[in-house]
Amino acid sequence: MTSLSASGMETFPAPAETPAILRLMQRIWHIRGEVPLPADLATDEAFARLDPLFAHAGTVHARMGDVVLVTKRDQLAQDPLSVVDSGTLRIEPGEQGPTLRYHLVSRALLYCFLAPLLFLAISQLTVFLGTLDKPTPEEIAKEKAKKDKQGEIKLNPIDKFLGAPAPEKPKDEKKDAKDKKKGDDEENEGFSPITAYVFAGIFAALYVLGRLLEPWLIRRLFQRTLTG
Amino acid sequence: MDGIRVGKRIVGTQSPVTIGWENIPKVEGGTFKRLFFTWFQPAVLFGMIAFWYYAPNSIAKFSTAIGIGIGFRIFLQILEFVNPRHKSWQITWKELATDLFYVGISATCVQLVENYIGSDAIIEALQSTFDFDKFAWFTGLPLLVQALLSLFIFDLGQYWMHRGMHNWYPLWLPHSVHHYITQLNVHKGAVGNPLELFLIGLGIGGLFDFLPRAFLLAGAISMSIGAYQHINVRFDSPRWWRFLFNTTEHHSLHHSQDFESTRSNYSNWFIVIDRMFGTCIDGEAELLGMEGGRRMSIREQMLYPFTEGWKAWKERGVREPMFGDHPTAVPAE
Repeated sequence: MTSLSASGMETFPAPAETPAILRLMQRIWHIRGEVPLPADLATDEAFARLDPLFAHAGTVHARMGDVVLVTKRDQLAQDPLSVVDSGTLRIEPGEQGPTLRYHLVSRALLYCFLAPLLFLAISQLTVFLGTLDKPTPEEIAKEKAKKDKQGEIKLNPIDKFLGAPAPEKPKDEKKDAKDKKKGDDEENEGFSPITAYVFAGIFAALYVLGRLLEPWLIRRLFQRTLTG
Repeated sequence: MDGIRVGKRIVGTQSPVTIGWENIPKVEGGTFKRLFFTWFQPAVLFGMIAFWYYAPNSIAKFSTAIGIGIGFRIFLQILEFVNPRHKSWQITWKELATDLFYVGISATCVQLVENYIGSDAIIEALQSTFDFDKFAWFTGLPLLVQALLSLFIFDLGQYWMHRGMHNWYPLWLPHSVHHYITQLNVHKGAVGNPLELFLIGLGIGGLFDFLPRAFLLAGAISMSIGAYQHINVRFDSPRWWRFLFNTTEHHSLHHSQDFESTRSNYSNWFIVIDRMFGTCIDGEAELLGMEGGRRMSIREQMLYPFTEGWKAWKERGVREPMFGDHPTAVPAE
């Protein structure tokens, strides 16, 4: 069976036609699943129950026989299918009666999967710019003089009376040598890649969460909608 | 819609808004819940001040501040589930991922750019050019005065920058996309075009020489006041808090779909600045956004100021001159 076509709508080949390797890659951002229809629920009635799900802003859908094609754009946050950008829903006969099979595509999942790569790239750019912007010996000396000056500043008498700790005294030379490595890192504090690494990690975790949560929520939504 | 008269202006003619503290819903639930959501904000503020004032030098560090900041944001995110202000603002996975993307871009790319052309870089260049030192006397003031004064001066700058953004088209373009958010959540403050995030971060705070502890105190105070601007949690903030500080209520009105309401509550932390300049409206709104609540994609948010700016530039040649023969509508403020 070849794909259905409707003007302006993305369609997909039937599952059997997709090569296995592509299918495996598609699992990153495609959501496939099936929900058995409640007993005695006719196809027309099933689609009628699903209809309100496609009534949200930015959603276009068209029914062609036992298949519904959906596309979405600028989905509102509270749209229950907000992660979906396009997809098909078919009602097919199954072993235990008619079944709703859906194949949905989510760019949000794809972008979330790619986001760690973006932040890793930003981290490398940060490191590269940091090497170009290494402070000159004069700048390092100026910074040190500033730190020494800070150590000399005395607390206001009110703060002294209230018991606030006094500013740190400047470190001695020996300690300075010990902390040299640490100091090297601090000198280039505007070019630390750590934040970008943290966000790469956050998005990796968010992707795993979304890949597990969203298909589960969509399946539950279809199940509840079909059972009325 | 008839709208509500507030001073010289009529608000709520395009979209429903609630005006007056007495009309805003209260926290519902048992005594503990009501007490918690009344005193949580002041308790955090005074707790933070005490911590940063007395913490030993070994603890009072920037890394500790970052740790507390992240922990606080996670806690506020949990509070959104415990006591949401509106169900229609509930956070979803996609919304969280989108918000965190903007937070990430702000914390990495915008920070990177600020190394070269941010306010600190500009001030440093000014100092080396004109050979004037920072305001060294500032470090002799009591710590809390240093912190509060620097925050107030920074917020005063932000107030005028923000008000300018709502009144001058070239500044409105980068800010406008932030007004397309359709709900408030804890990370929504970062949603917008990076150009706007850069502009709003400009300030003259760098002119002053701080004691490191005063700087950390200022950061803690701004976190304890500013974290609630974009948040989906219902608080019964004490009356003095609502008088002094910007609240979710104030800021939801600023994000309302009603145009006249968006021209109020510009300050970042101290709503008293709005009171001083007559732009404060006490109230709240649930329906937020622009163009009837259209949600803007990340791609559009990134491009919109430039595409719209280009369109406006091209139209300059064919537009009728302002104050020509035909009367033109001038936005009233």
